[in-house]
Amino acid sequence: MKKLFFMMVCFAIVQVQAQVSRATLVASGLTCSMCSNSINKSLKTVDYIVKVTANIRNSSFDIVFKPGAAVNFDELKKKVEDAGFFVAKLTVTLSFNHQPVLNDKHVRVSGILFHFVNVKDQELDGEKEVQILDKGFVSAKQFKKNQAFSSMECYKTGVTGSCCQKAGEPAGNRIYHITI
Amino acid sequence: MITGASQVTVVPFSFLSMKFNYVLLLMLFSSRTHAQELFTYTEPASNMAAKSIGIRINNSFMREASLSRYRYQLSPEIMWGASGKLMVHASAFFSNWKGSFAGDGGALYVKYRFYSQDEVHSHFRMAAFGRFAFNNTHLHQPAIDLNRHNSGYEAGMVATKLINKIALSAGAGFLHAMDNGKYKFTINDKYRNALEYNLSIGKLLLPKEYTSYKQVNLNGMIEFLGQSNLALGNSYVDMASVLQFIILSRMRVDLGYRFSLLNDLKRTASNGFLVRFEYNIFNAYH
Repeated sequence: MKKLFFMMVCFAIVQVQAQVSRATLVASGLTCSMCSNSINKSLKTVDYIVKVTANIRNSSFDIVFKPGAAVNFDELKKKVEDAGFFVAKLTVTLSFNHQPVLNDKHVRVSGILFHFVNVKDQELDGEKEVQILDKGFVSAKQFKKNQAFSSMECYKTGVTGSCCQKAGEPAGNRIYHITI
Repeated sequence: MITGASQVTVVPFSFLSMKFNYVLLLMLFSSRTHAQELFTYTEPASNMAAKSIGIRINNSFMREASLSRYRYQLSPEIMWGASGKLMVHASAFFSNWKGSFAGDGGALYVKYRFYSQDEVHSHFRMAAFGRFAFNNTHLHQPAIDLNRHNSGYEAGMVATKLINKIALSAGAGFLHAMDNGKYKFTINDKYRNALEYNLSIGKLLLPKEYTSYKQVNLNGMIEFLGQSNLALGNSYVDMASVLQFIILSRMRVDLGYRFSLLNDLKRTASNGFLVRFEYNIFNAYH
C-alpha cells in the first residue's frame, strides 16, 4: 500500500513537472533592438523562467520554464506590457496524458482551466503546442475575428461565467481559451 | 532669416548641415530598413519600460549669433518608467550663459500614453505630456524655451505612427512663460503664451538584419520644430538632423544639428549642435 502511494506521488509529480515546459511569445508594436531588449529584460525578471532567447527580427521570444513551476500566462502578458508593448501571439507547450478534448468545451489540465476553441474533437497525448486566444494574447483584430469560434461569454472576459456553470465550473475563475 | 553680421559666420555651418540634412533625407526615403522613433529633439508617444531608469547627459552648443560664440549647456537628465504608460524626466541645466559656468535651472517632464493600437512591427500611439521648468537666467527673447531660458510650463499631446519601415511623430503643446525670478518675461503679459509643434521622422539605417542585441544600430532622423507666439503672431521653424548610435541595445549616442528654416520669432541662438549620451537600466528595481 505504501509502495503504491509512493508511486502515485511520483506519478503526480511527473505530471505536474511536465505541465508547461516552453512558450514562444511574439510581441507587437516594436521594431528596434532596444525595445526588444526591454521586453527581454522584463521577461527575465519572472522567477520561473529559466531562459529567454530573443529573435529581434521577428519580435519573438522563446521562453523555457523551470520544470514543475506554476506558469502564469497573465504574468507574462503583464511583463510585456510593462515594457511598453503588447503580446501578439503566445504559444505554449503543454503536456497531456490521454486527454479527451472537445471543441468549445472546458478542460482542466494540471490545475489550469482551458477552453478549447476551433479544434476537432480528439484525444491529446504527450507534448502539444497550443495558442492562447484570450484578450491581450492576440492582436485586437484577431481577438474580434476569433469571437466566431465561441458564443460563450467567458471568451470575452477570460473568467468563468454562467456559461461555464453548466459544465460544472464555478464562476469567477480564470479560464484560458486555446486552440491547437 | 539670419540677419546682419551673424550670417557671415553662420553660413558655413548651415551650408554643411543642410547638405547633411538632404543626404539624411535621401537615406531615410531610399533604404528599406526598419524605422525608429527614439527621437532626439522631441519625445515620441511611446514610453520607456516600467521600473527602468535612464540617465542622459545632454551637451548643447548653440551659436549666439550676436556674440559670435557658442553657448554651452550641460543638462543631466534622469528618466523613470513609473509604469508601462507613465514616465517622468527630471533635468538640471548648467551653462556658460552668465559668463562663467553655472546652474541655470531645471525641468520636470511627465508623459502618459493613453492610446495604443499595436500590431506586429507597427503601432499607433498617443500620449499627453506636461513640462514644468524653472530658470534664473535673464530674459532676452520672446521665443520660449523651457529647456534653456524660461521658467514656465507646457501641456501637449503627441501621436506616433510606426509602420515597419518608417516612424512618424507629430506633437503640439501650449506653452506659457513665467518670470525668471527677478527677471520679468517681457513688458507685455500677452506675449507669454505660445504654441509649439513638431513633426519627426526616423529610420534605422544599420544593421540591415538584426542578429543580436550587441549589434550597433545607426538611426537617422529629421525633425521639424516650430513655435508661434500667440500674441505676436511670429513663428520659427527649425530643422534638425540626427545620427543616433544604439550600443548594446541599452546605450545611446545622439549627434544632432539644428538650424532655422524660418526665423521670424526672435532668438539669440537658433543654430547649434547637440551631443547626447544615454544609458538605460532595465528593471532598475523590483
